[in-house]
Amino acid sequence: MSQSLKLRDLVRSSRLSALGLVIVVVSITLAAGFTIFGARITPYNPFALDLQNSNLPPSPSHFFGTDFQGRDIFSRVIAALPIDLGLPIAIVLLSSVLGIFLGMAAGYLGGIVDEVVMRVTDLFLAFPTIIMVLAVAATLGSGLVNAMLAFVFVWWPPYVRLVRGGVLEVAAEDFISISKALNSSFTYIITKGILPNVLPAVLTYATLDVGTALLEVSILGFLGIGIPPNTPELGVMVGSISYGLYTYPWQALLPAFITMILVVGFSFLGEGAREASDVKVRPYILFKTRVLGKAAAKEKSLTATAGRGSIQEAG
Amino acid sequence: MRDLFTGNFGLDPLTGQSILSEIAFYLPNTLELVLFSFLILVIVGVAIGYIAGMHFSTLRDSIARVAYLVSWSTPMYLAAIVAILVFANWLPIFPSGGMYSLSISAPQPVTGIFLIDAVIELNFPAFLSGLHHLILPAVALAFVNYGLISRAVRSSILNVRWSTYVKTARAKGLTETEVRQKHILRNALIDATSLSAVVFGWVLTSTVVVEELFAWPGLGQFAYQAIFSNDYPVLIPVVVVFTLGVIIANFIADVAYSLLDPRIALGGHDVTVT
Repeated sequence: MSQSLKLRDLVRSSRLSALGLVIVVVSITLAAGFTIFGARITPYNPFALDLQNSNLPPSPSHFFGTDFQGRDIFSRVIAALPIDLGLPIAIVLLSSVLGIFLGMAAGYLGGIVDEVVMRVTDLFLAFPTIIMVLAVAATLGSGLVNAMLAFVFVWWPPYVRLVRGGVLEVAAEDFISISKALNSSFTYIITKGILPNVLPAVLTYATLDVGTALLEVSILGFLGIGIPPNTPELGVMVGSISYGLYTYPWQALLPAFITMILVVGFSFLGEGAREASDVKVRPYILFKTRVLGKAAAKEKSLTATAGRGSIQEAG
Repeated sequence: MRDLFTGNFGLDPLTGQSILSEIAFYLPNTLELVLFSFLILVIVGVAIGYIAGMHFSTLRDSIARVAYLVSWSTPMYLAAIVAILVFANWLPIFPSGGMYSLSISAPQPVTGIFLIDAVIELNFPAFLSGLHHLILPAVALAFVNYGLISRAVRSSILNVRWSTYVKTARAKGLTETEVRQKHILRNALIDATSLSAVVFGWVLTSTVVVEELFAWPGLGQFAYQAIFSNDYPVLIPVVVVFTLGVIIANFIADVAYSLLDPRIALGGHDVTVT
């Protein structure tokens, strides 16, 4: 039985991942839509002040109500998506690229390179993430690029560890030593032998990590550090209301719930992918989707016994 | 550099007090909040992970997984705001902020941790008031951070449930309860222990948001104010204290790990770590 797991299987095996995928795709589409078409796809201009209609409760004309300056919150939430998705994705992308380079260097070259890279990584790992991000962002000054740099500064160490661990495992395999014996070039071994075996783990971790990064980005916005005020960012929108929380709770709650839903999307997707790549559980999922999909009637009793059997095989 | 190790951090440019004495005032308050919250988190996290793992691929598993994934994806400020709105505003059961009622005579600081000081003085009104103020922020902190523990417990139960190790235990004639408690759960706890240090770090740093919202006079709020006013002389020692907290938690987790798992010895030379 082939052990490779396709996105299709993942979605079929777990409703969680399917739901996550839907949330992620819809939000990225909306974000892309807003980036391309701007305020033309939102019901109101997210930046236009309308002081006569400030602090309106949610209603059919303003789905999420309006904020203290009369801006439509629903439109602002859509306007926030490019920032709230773009920033975390950029952070995770940059960190994983950095992690792949350093981790491969440490794992494959070994020796002094390994020592130096890993000690520096350990040093950075010890820092409490959000406090360090806040401190660096405050030092660099307000601005989205600065906020991103502040994040990357503390975000890369787990990737180095992940990649290095994977490289050590793969490099010990026979096909790498055979490849070396066949006098394959260094770049060939790295790109064809090691990288494809390390990437899936990085990808799984990165999916979950985008959600975490999104949470921390919005906390940065909520605390009002690093991200400029009046930026349509979900955390900033929540934070700017703290003085009127009891009177206009929806102004804080709705953007905060949207943040949660976005993060839930990435968590569900990443969690499904993580479980699917777990060798002890994967045969069970493959069995359930490929074999049991046809015999859905007997699913329950079959899964219990068959699941045990196939997991034994793998273990 | 010597000042770093002797704790001589100088004076706070904003308040004119010595930074060390300020940290000594704020740190116990944060510890009280974090430790209490951590206790709730470990109990809830292990319970939910255990239920999910023992009922793998059933409705209970799905509910438990959705529960911990959703709460894990909740922004810290959302949990805190909902807690304040629901339990302090709409249903006024708990106070919305502060560490104790001002009408209560506060106990003399001995350890600095309010609840312990109240017990030392046998000052029960202060103890109850402290606990009353503690519950809401602690639960909000625990709610957001227990997910990783649940997930670790669940996946480590899945790893051992069908293993020969558990089969052997059953073959020895142990009762099902014994197998579950001593073989499956204990194994899961070992995995959870090593992760709990990470989670402790998260709880510790989440205080920046929680203490700000609940007006809790702790290190997180102190750090936030220092960051907000670019007060670097304060910020640097505070970051050092947070980092130390994480390192100490890691050390405690390592010790607990070796106590729980007899295969692992600290600094062992002849023992292989699995």
